Amino acid sequence: MKKLFARAAASLSRRYRTMSIQMVISLSFTAAAVAGMVLMGLSLVWRFSAGTEQLVRENTVRVLGQVNMNLDSYLRRMMRVSDTMYYRVIKNADLAADSLEEGMELLYEENRDELVSIAVFDGQGALVAGTPLTALKEGADPARADWYQAALDKMENLHFSAPHIQRLFADPDDSFRWVVSLSRYVQLTREGSTFSGVLLVDMGFSGIEQVCRDVELAGGGYLYLTDADGEIIYHPRQQLIYAGLESENNRANAALPDGSHAETFDGEKRLVTVKTVGYTGWKLVGVVPRTGAADDGGYIFLFGLSMLLFSAFLMAFLNFRISARIADPIRRLEQSVKELEAGAQQVNIREEGCYEVRRLAHSIASMVSTMRHLMDDIIQQEKRKRRSELEVLQSQINPHFLYNTLDSVIWMTEAGRYNEAIQMVTSLARLFRIALSRGRSFIPLADELEHARHYMTIQQIRYQDKFTATVTAEAGTEGLYTLKLIVQPLLENAIYHGMAGCEEDGRITVTARREGDDLVIDVADNGTGMPPEVAEHLLDENRPQTRSSGSGIGVRNVHRRIRLTFGEGYGLTVFSEPDEGTTVRVRLPALTAGQAAKLQQEEEP
Amino acid sequence: MKKHRTNAFLQLLVLTALGAAVVLTLAWPQLPFARQEEPVEVSVILRQADASLWANARLGMEQAAGQLRAEVRFITPTADNDPGEQARLMRYEAERGADVLVVDPAGRAPADLNTPVVLLDSAGKDAAVSPDNAALGSALAEAALADRPAGEVLLVRTGAGQGVSERAAAAREALEAAGVQVAETTLSPSDDGAQLEAALGGTRAAAVLLFEPSATEAAAAAKEKLDLSPALYGVGSTGPIAAALERGTLAASGVWSDFAAGYLAVEGAVRTARGEDWQPQPLDFFILRGEDIYEPDNQKLLFPVAS
Repeated sequence: MKKLFARAAASLSRRYRTMSIQMVISLSFTAAAVAGMVLMGLSLVWRFSAGTEQLVRENTVRVLGQVNMNLDSYLRRMMRVSDTMYYRVIKNADLAADSLEEGMELLYEENRDELVSIAVFDGQGALVAGTPLTALKEGADPARADWYQAALDKMENLHFSAPHIQRLFADPDDSFRWVVSLSRYVQLTREGSTFSGVLLVDMGFSGIEQVCRDVELAGGGYLYLTDADGEIIYHPRQQLIYAGLESENNRANAALPDGSHAETFDGEKRLVTVKTVGYTGWKLVGVVPRTGAADDGGYIFLFGLSMLLFSAFLMAFLNFRISARIADPIRRLEQSVKELEAGAQQVNIREEGCYEVRRLAHSIASMVSTMRHLMDDIIQQEKRKRRSELEVLQSQINPHFLYNTLDSVIWMTEAGRYNEAIQMVTSLARLFRIALSRGRSFIPLADELEHARHYMTIQQIRYQDKFTATVTAEAGTEGLYTLKLIVQPLLENAIYHGMAGCEEDGRITVTARREGDDLVIDVADNGTGMPPEVAEHLLDENRPQTRSSGSGIGVRNVHRRIRLTFGEGYGLTVFSEPDEGTTVRVRLPALTAGQAAKLQQEEEP
Repeated sequence: MKKHRTNAFLQLLVLTALGAAVVLTLAWPQLPFARQEEPVEVSVILRQADASLWANARLGMEQAAGQLRAEVRFITPTADNDPGEQARLMRYEAERGADVLVVDPAGRAPADLNTPVVLLDSAGKDAAVSPDNAALGSALAEAALADRPAGEVLLVRTGAGQGVSERAAAAREALEAAGVQVAETTLSPSDDGAQLEAALGGTRAAAVLLFEPSATEAAAAAKEKLDLSPALYGVGSTGPIAAALERGTLAASGVWSDFAAGYLAVEGAVRTARGEDWQPQPLDFFILRGEDIYEPDNQKLLFPVAS
């Protein structure tokens, strides 16, 4: 069992962890609401039942009190009849001279609706006087009757008998009537001497029945009357009980003390209220079925059940709707975040739903916006960094070259070679003008090639025409743009490494052509060349820098600049054979003026 | 989206259905088909004009009618034990719209009657409220045998129906089994007492057995009137029978609760009319002698409490 609970708890926990917020809210609120409703319903039912039972008790006690009062009044009236008969008639009569009949008949006539007979018997049970019947049945023996014995046993009291058939008097109608006998001890007088006797007042059943009949208690309850021993005097279903068709718990009920008691009789739960009728000791018993509303129980149960189901479903429905209003914006927000994670650039983060969710969406939107700005800043910073690096690379050209060129101009001037010095200075000026190009990184291919020509002019003067140089641009390259100062370092490299061993037959050619969307510039020399393995590692960034003896800028710098600007697909390729020469091929995108301007704009901070 | 809309529609449908259930259960007691059943109309058709013979049974019938929401009409014939008149009355009541008939049969019921009939004090059939007639006849014979009759025993049959025949047959069987000589006389159904007086006056039997209350009353009256000597054994618990028992005119009577008989007859009639299953149980009876009639339990059985 413990394992079962643990497994169930684990299963619930697992489900809870994977449950959506909407389901959690719906289930939790619905469960809480249903539990609350059930609790409240049970409390109300319990309170209502307790209140109803209390009302029933109070009502029954009140009704029994009223019936008791009426019954007491009736019995006292009968006792007054007996008193009157005794104190006004019997005590004033001497049987030797007076008759009891006249007073007896008068009393009987006054109360004939409630009386069956009045009779006086002497101490041996012989009839002294009686009305309306005046003769005893043959064989009748009053002295053996219970009421007679009771009167003689307790002479100071009046005695009420249990209901019985009166069988004393000879009745020409052969009627057998149920009576309750009220008997008392009396003293009779004859010729001045007194002797014992018994006065009998037989009450008809109608008086008692009228008092008890038509009394209705709550929930189909009823009232019955028993003597002190539980013998039924009146019961609304008396004859059914006598006939054995129904039963009553009269003996047990009569033994109960006054007050309300719960009992189960014949499988029926009942509330029994007992009240003792003052003088007689009789018991008035009110019986109220505790399931008095059982006939309507089905309706009430169905109503309660349907009400509970309706309320629970309504709660579930409303909770589902409310939780959807909370959860749906969160779910959409989660979807937006997932799209952002996937790299989407344009994600619409909707600020909707409850206040907290809207604030969350707003915060996420703000965060995304901030991140985008930060990323833009990073990109700009990267661009600036790259530009500064380019600028550093470019700036590395100038000092060595300028120093060497100016040194050449000095010694040519000192040697009187003024024309050559003028040509060198002119080319140098032109070289710097193109190199500056107003700070732009991208210049027309024609300018780049012109820059190469001027550079070669200067170098040819310096090296006294040890080599020839040819710079050509093939058709289709007109109007194309290129990265600034990429040819000059290659020429410098060709001069200092390729032409080093040449006497006067050195040749350097620069050829620009278009290949599809690319611009290809070949810088070739017929110099000493290099082994393929050396050429292969010439551009490797991981190899130690080969410092040239010229400008100090190797092909590796050019290669890196091109790749930084245009990507990995572009750059230099070195083809070389020892004693054959070297060709360095530059591959660039064939930039138009517009493209070059756009790139220039992106580079600028 | 479509799935969500379908779900919402289904939820609303269930909500509406449950709301309707709440309203339905709330209004249930007021709905026409949930109201209480209409009272059952029961016509009680007697076979004797003397209502005093049925006073106790009538009390039981009225008690049952009050408890079971029935309306009872009592129809008394103009002549005693007239099968023709009783059949006419049964047809009339059926055509008038009675839901069920309770009949103390004077003869056979009309075969073409479409209304259910519950029989009183008749032979043990499916729908008959009666003591076990054979057992009652045997018990009466045993009571007579207990008094050791010094001579033959006369069985008086009245033409009241098959119940009487069964009682008489069982009594004859018991008496003959005990070696007692048995004589038998059958009276006309329309006998007003003269035939019975003649039969009693002319018999030399030591004991006479009678098998229905009216015959028992009449026999007791004739015995007192003619100062006859045979011991009388009858059935019934009417006032005159009780008085005859008390006076010793009747030696013993087979008694049962007429109140219970009347109650059970109407209860059975109401259940039959409502289509419920109902099987009558034989009424309890016992043999009562004069000296026992004032025993408390016998008082309660013999004399219904009535103001």
